Amino acid sequence: MSNDLRITRREFLKIAGAGIALSATGGWLAGCAPAPTPVPTAAPPTAVPKPTGKLSVYSALNETTNNEFVKAFKAAYPGIEVDLLPMAAAGELQTRIRTEKASPKCDVFIGGSSEFHDPLGKEGLLEAYKSPNAANVDATFKDPNGFWTGWYIGIFGFVYNTDRFAKEMSGVKKPTTWDDLLDPAWKGKLAYPDPIKTGGGYIFMATQIFRFNRDEDKAMEYMKKLHANIAQYTGTATQVIQLVSQGQFIGGLNWAHDILTTRAQGLPIDLIVPEMTGFEIGAVSIVKGGPNLAAAKAFVDWVLTPEAGALNVKLSNRLSVRKEVPPAPGTPTLESVKLVQYDRQWASDNKDRILKKWQATVGM
Amino acid sequence: MRRISREPSVVITLLILVGLMLAFIIYPQVQVVLVPGLNGYIEFLAGQTWVKPFFNSLQVMCLSTTTAVILGFIYAYAMVYSKMPFKPFFRIIGVLPLLSPPFVVAASYILLFGPRGMISYYVFGQSPNILGLGGLWGVQTIAFFPFAYQLIADVLARSDARMEQAARNLGAGPWQVFRTITLPMARPGLLAAILTTAIYIVEDFGNPALIAGQFTVLPTQAYGLISGFGDVTGAAVVSTILLLLALVLYVAKTRIEGQRSYVTISGRAGTIPRPPVPAIVSVFCFIACLFLAILILMVYGVLFVSAIVEVFPVKWTPTFKHFEFLTSNITPLQNTLIYSGTAAIICALFAMLLGFLVQRRDWRGKRIVDFIAIMPAAIPGIFFGIGYATAFNQRWLDWIDRGALITISMIFWNIPVGYQAAIAGLQQIDRSLDDAATSLGAGSLRAFRDILFPLLDSALLTGFVTAFVRAVTTLSVVIFLFTPGTTVATIKIFQLVNDFMWGGATAFTVSVVGMAVLVLVLVWTISGRRAGLQRTQ
Repeated sequence: MSNDLRITRREFLKIAGAGIALSATGGWLAGCAPAPTPVPTAAPPTAVPKPTGKLSVYSALNETTNNEFVKAFKAAYPGIEVDLLPMAAAGELQTRIRTEKASPKCDVFIGGSSEFHDPLGKEGLLEAYKSPNAANVDATFKDPNGFWTGWYIGIFGFVYNTDRFAKEMSGVKKPTTWDDLLDPAWKGKLAYPDPIKTGGGYIFMATQIFRFNRDEDKAMEYMKKLHANIAQYTGTATQVIQLVSQGQFIGGLNWAHDILTTRAQGLPIDLIVPEMTGFEIGAVSIVKGGPNLAAAKAFVDWVLTPEAGALNVKLSNRLSVRKEVPPAPGTPTLESVKLVQYDRQWASDNKDRILKKWQATVGM
Repeated sequence: MRRISREPSVVITLLILVGLMLAFIIYPQVQVVLVPGLNGYIEFLAGQTWVKPFFNSLQVMCLSTTTAVILGFIYAYAMVYSKMPFKPFFRIIGVLPLLSPPFVVAASYILLFGPRGMISYYVFGQSPNILGLGGLWGVQTIAFFPFAYQLIADVLARSDARMEQAARNLGAGPWQVFRTITLPMARPGLLAAILTTAIYIVEDFGNPALIAGQFTVLPTQAYGLISGFGDVTGAAVVSTILLLLALVLYVAKTRIEGQRSYVTISGRAGTIPRPPVPAIVSVFCFIACLFLAILILMVYGVLFVSAIVEVFPVKWTPTFKHFEFLTSNITPLQNTLIYSGTAAIICALFAMLLGFLVQRRDWRGKRIVDFIAIMPAAIPGIFFGIGYATAFNQRWLDWIDRGALITISMIFWNIPVGYQAAIAGLQQIDRSLDDAATSLGAGSLRAFRDILFPLLDSALLTGFVTAFVRAVTTLSVVIFLFTPGTTVATIKIFQLVNDFMWGGATAFTVSVVGMAVLVLVLVWTISGRRAGLQRTQ
């Protein structure tokens, strides 16, 4: 009973909040046009005092990036104390934000593909915020409603074990297109993150569909031929890199930045980015009703600075959405790789259907 | 059986126990079951993506339970009956597989037995693909035989040596004694073992996540839906299917249990040594246990070596850097110890008292409470956690300390292990013992405290040990509850694995396992006077 009441109140607040936000943006967009009614909130002073207090950040970034980000942000905003909850698994963080909606504990959700932020925005769990620092970020990298902003890009690539490739695959050319992986020489030597259980595995499959101009039959034919070469579908995405670096399999499909980060430890693997590949947009968003909105906005502004972008590029091997931030040495640039026209909305709307079709095609 | 209505103190105790279970098992779970809504259920079930994982789950459950229980029985028999040497060592080995934080121990199997495994390929020149049903069957057998072993050993240790002695005196051979006395008397333990093992195997996600590959089972499907696609609705439906599966197992168990009596501790008990088992059996037991021990030690050995070299398996330079990293991140380890220890003690006591009220007293709704006490075993950890996060993350409950909430979740998630041990133990103690106490004027609770409790020490210990070990290694229950200050070791390990920091992850794993083993050895030493295997010597 009380539950019902609370929801009604929340709904009301949401509508009210949206109303205010709408009128505020409306007024801003209209520019010099006379506003019919003055916005009833107090206008913020021009010199905004720097926000203070505790800031709770849920982060899907890696450990070193988290640590450096907290340090650098603290230098820029000494008044804010960051409480960072790390979990390099965006799906878990997304679920957590959902389960906490009755009493949000998180201010900023950072990292992870925009696919994990977008539904939260649609469910009304995110605070719309268009950071001034995102003004010159390409529109394809941000949510039109401002619920999330993209700030890095991850590219899907191919990892192979250099030792085993040199020894056992002489005469086979390194794959430069996805079709090269259909070479029978790869039979029983490839690992692929199970598209049913991993986001990356599904992005790869959707990429094939976009690569064939949404001709699903052609894409499925490709997946079927590829299936003949796959030794193993893995339960987690990270496991592919683990297995290939151990030499259990020779090649695998995975995220370019993760491949590079693992290679940096001295493991005998290398990265190839075949043309027409898929990508993710790494996003940052503000949770609605979080404990410290002012600090959250400050954090998002800071994340969208070129400095933070460069720090992330250096520590995680991903690409910044800002053109002025150069990629890490040895990383493929956005210009050097050929990306497919990846339609995120279509990919997520058709997920169940595509996966079922794929299961029927390969018989598993 | 005694009715309880005449004893207010018993009624109140019962109401408190049931109230707590409703609040901390049923209420959070209802939150999860309701998530998808009717349409969500219809849509997901009609999509039929769950059909294959469902049958895969059944298949691996049947195969692995069979082998795990057989292995557990051999191990228990060896520990209780045989005269094999080094029993304290084997006792630790028998718990070790339970101490396997997800993602790390399973990875060790692949390093040893994968297509380029250190044993399979570099020793035997074979390239087996262990990722799939075969590998999962093998790994689950070893990972879950300890449940069967603990429950069966507990029952065997308390079985009455006089019957076996009598049978031998009447001319029965060792095999005949085993077949007609030992085995039938172990029946409650066996049933409990089969049920518990089956449910835990079907619920486990850590091993299938790494070993099963494309052989998707229900828990990996549920986890994948959340982790890969943020689809809580679909995952909640999968979780409900798992719960129903548990219900079926439970009903099957009560059906076949029958009305036999398993009483072996009676008021007239005296201590008689067990009849000796033939030397050849002891030798066989020793060899079997040794083989298993070597395998288990290899799996943990890989982790240990990984933790002390630069980059396993390419840079073998010894280093302390992974442990230095650990010492600068010591809080998760401390949290693990505090939460798991507290939870395990409360859990074992709670389950024991509940077991007494269910097994010894008569009241309405007993069957339902009995099922509720076993239910958490069938709830995938991730859903137990989501249920808690949804149910208790409310503004009016924000004063609750997160560490306390994590501890509570560990208590109630592990009730089934303590409860199973309690029931199996109680079934073997003659009612006339506590009836005598109550006829002499003692209240029910006093009879429990003074008569049964001391006799149930090994069951209590089993409950504590298993609950502790499971609390130490759970990732999925706490993943939606922890805060930066209440991070536990498994969360840290999970984070490090995802960051490809294998050295750091193994350093944490080795430390958690070592710490837990220390606690167990300490507990065993303190309670050593009568516990489990010592009783037989």
